[in-house]
Amino acid sequence: MVFDIKGKFNSKLISSIGKPLERKEDERLLRGEGLFSDDFNLEGQYYVTFVRSPYPHAKIKNIDKSDAEKSPGVIAIFTGEDCLADNLHPIPHSPVPSTKYDLKLTDPEGKDIFIGPQLLLPVDKVRHVGEAVVMVIAKTNFEAQDAAEKVYVDYHELDWTADINSSLKEDSPKVWDEIKDNICVDTIFGNPEKVDKVFNSSKYLFSKEFHIGRVTGVPLEPRSALASYDSTSKRYLLYAGSNGAVRHKFQISKTLNIDPGSLRIICHDVGGNFGTKNRVYVEFPLVLWASKKTDNPIKYTATRSESFLSDVQGRDLLTKVELSMDEDYKFTAFRASNVSNVGARVISLSPLGKGIALVTGPYDIPLASARARAVFTNTVPTNAYRSSGRPEVTFAMERLIEIAAKSLGIDPIKLRRINLINKDDMPYRNALGVTYDSGKYEDNMNKALALSDLDNLSIRKEDASQRGKFLGFGFSNYVESSVGNPKESVELRVDADGFISLIVGTQPTGQGHETSFAQVAADLLGLAPEEIKVVFSDTDIVKKGGGSHSGRSMRHAGTVICLAAEDLIDRGKKLCSLLFDQNYQSISFAREGSFTWSDKKISWFELAEAIEGVELSGDLHTGLNIERENEMHEPVFPNGCAACEVEIDKETFVPKLTKYIAIDDVGRAINPLIVDGQTHGSIATGVGQALFETFYLDKASGQPLTGSLMDYGIPRADQLPSFVTELNEVLSPTNPLGIKSAGEGATTPALAAVINAVVNALEEFDIEHIDMPATSFNIWRSVNNKNKESKS
Amino acid sequence: MRISLTINGNPVSEDVDNRTLLADFIRNTLGLTGTHVGCDTSQCGCCVVHLNGEAIKSCTMLAVAANNSEITTIEGLSNSEDLSAMQESFRRNHALQCGYCTPGVIMSAVDLLKNNPKPTEEEVRDALEGNLCRCTGYHNIIKAILDVSKAG
Ligand code: FES
Ligand code: FES
Repeated sequence: MVFDIKGKFNSKLISSIGKPLERKEDERLLRGEGLFSDDFNLEGQYYVTFVRSPYPHAKIKNIDKSDAEKSPGVIAIFTGEDCLADNLHPIPHSPVPSTKYDLKLTDPEGKDIFIGPQLLLPVDKVRHVGEAVVMVIAKTNFEAQDAAEKVYVDYHELDWTADINSSLKEDSPKVWDEIKDNICVDTIFGNPEKVDKVFNSSKYLFSKEFHIGRVTGVPLEPRSALASYDSTSKRYLLYAGSNGAVRHKFQISKTLNIDPGSLRIICHDVGGNFGTKNRVYVEFPLVLWASKKTDNPIKYTATRSESFLSDVQGRDLLTKVELSMDEDYKFTAFRASNVSNVGARVISLSPLGKGIALVTGPYDIPLASARARAVFTNTVPTNAYRSSGRPEVTFAMERLIEIAAKSLGIDPIKLRRINLINKDDMPYRNALGVTYDSGKYEDNMNKALALSDLDNLSIRKEDASQRGKFLGFGFSNYVESSVGNPKESVELRVDADGFISLIVGTQPTGQGHETSFAQVAADLLGLAPEEIKVVFSDTDIVKKGGGSHSGRSMRHAGTVICLAAEDLIDRGKKLCSLLFDQNYQSISFAREGSFTWSDKKISWFELAEAIEGVELSGDLHTGLNIERENEMHEPVFPNGCAACEVEIDKETFVPKLTKYIAIDDVGRAINPLIVDGQTHGSIATGVGQALFETFYLDKASGQPLTGSLMDYGIPRADQLPSFVTELNEVLSPTNPLGIKSAGEGATTPALAAVINAVVNALEEFDIEHIDMPATSFNIWRSVNNKNKESKS
Repeated sequence: MRISLTINGNPVSEDVDNRTLLADFIRNTLGLTGTHVGCDTSQCGCCVVHLNGEAIKSCTMLAVAANNSEITTIEGLSNSEDLSAMQESFRRNHALQCGYCTPGVIMSAVDLLKNNPKPTEEEVRDALEGNLCRCTGYHNIIKAILDVSKAG
């Protein structure tokens, strides 16, 4: 047995696991031969442009398409009424996280949550700027765009609400008439009475409210969809990038009211995701439906401006946190009240739910309570965005610790050290009932501090000051969780031509599955990674699978590959036994990928050749072809910390990140080269929100003012330093390979670490907090307000 | 209008709509889909190609303006089995993840080293200011470029 599911992987098998192998996928991508969604074209395809809502909230009174219909090249123009007439259903979003371990969110009455149905095109009203209203199809892209300009939609503008506080007000405009206000989720966890009691008698109590603002994922490849319908086979075909085509296949089929088997989705290379491409977009079923109606292939590719207006977005959480301590600075109780801005519809409650489960972070706090609410607003829906929900709560905790330490006059690092969960207490059940699987939190912190050279910090500050800069140091711990869809499946097929196909349900969007999954399978089957061909991307081949989100892919795929490999080895032995008339027990599987008995030896590929043409019956009829599914609910808890330095120009107040150190426990790193890359990108995501990014809506009109890359600041090469990253691998006991997750951890502490550094840099102004993004303007304004305060 | 140009060493002659962008001409008319389009405001750099030996953003130019020019795209960087030094260094250093920004970044990087063979890290970062990457945090991209410069 190579492992047991709860036990340890047999480390003697390890040969390519843990090696920083170069990626198999790179060659094609480096030659410009990747296959992204918009790279596909079908003979004679038509093009689509969508007319989108210019208002945050408005009744659709009338749509006049007569002028547009006369426009050159126009083929058809469809509205929400046409969709209803054809009985198209709303997208069956499943926003509530569904593993056994997810905290259960409910509506204010404790019942099922009203999610606000997403029709493919609206019929009654529009609920956010950028919502697609009319679909214009023409022979060329230009003709579709020209015609779209001639569609006249008569709107009756309605009052709107865009932010959490306004949506919570009793007299707020309502996004949905179906419920009594805008509050769609309200659930309390933990023990509020006991927390109250402790707060009332506590020596110290600190509280603070934070808003972790709205950002958007901006994968560099805009979403795209190309559809066709074949009336002979009655099958639909869709080329569209996502994090997992299988789930999209089922959801889109429901929307179109068709048998899932009649829809094939092809999704090869995907140009980034970060959560943005997790969900089905209305354009996907719409192009499929329209291609059947027009009997012609149809293509849609979003412009960047459309992506800003209609890609699902991230974060947007208002949180009030309170923390009590005893005279030894030991945390005694914690309370959080979190409100998530879900936008115009509930597409995902993962950010709210995952955050709530981790409000107490990596600290040992005996008591906690948390209230989780979600409100509708007239904005684009929010979804899980890289490290869904965890950076938000980490930000609140780690900022509060800094504020508390400052007011107590003690070293914030010491305050953390007093309260960190001890490695001997693992697995640790937090006050909300969530069990952290493993981790050595204080070791993470020590590693980062050892690299931070704090002894010379004051010298560096002095030196920076000479150069006209305020220098600040910031730190943050974190623990996050990787849960996600509990099911994953894999198929292994031995090919006599000398490779094994590994057909897997989950889909990469840049994470290098073709390499890392091959490393795992290669070790288990005694082969080289080159001999494993990872196959995904076509739902006619890949029938099941959960998709890449919540850092789940390596862990889920790794586990089910272990199971399938064991089945395949067993199958190999049985086939040898049958073919060569040997006792099953006498056959063994050798590490170099061959079966042996007495003085005989046969490789995987020789065996595959040997069974060719042999009639196999019963259990053996699939030959060297194994399918395996696995369901794994138990979450894992990646953890670590970040330390950084920021310099702020004394005249312009422009901040610059000058040093960044990340320590991450990802469990076993299958390919450290890939893991490091994930860490770098993950850091940039967090730093982006801390310093540059905000999806800003004009307060008076509700119009997005950051609708292009000219206004929305994603970090550029000259705005980031090179990073120092180290792993602190503590194998998770929850899965055979000991994997946690690598893609999202480093984002989690980045927001807090950077803002802690910014506030520290400004220590002479005695500023308690700076809101994100800490742009030069925000910093200047805080300093200026402080100056005014001290003068008055 | 009919335009003629040389792309990756091959002469082509095609009819184009006056408003067609060079990037779309390369992708859709010529079928060279290695050049990507990531924005509509000339910010992301996914579309960088070499025009008469200089890196330009092909989304910022009309196809008709490229009449009689000589263009190299990512597909033309290596005509052999082997990758070019820059491509190879990107692979070795894991300087790409999703690979969407990669063609543009590489075309910019090659241009940078042509004009400044021994740049400092800061100069590399400045030169890449017009190429966005959302996956790598730039760390390995910078390393890959500096590696080529050191070897050269
Ligand atoms: S496509 Fe973004 S700069 Fe050209
Ligand atoms: S590798 Fe994905 S954007 Fe650069």
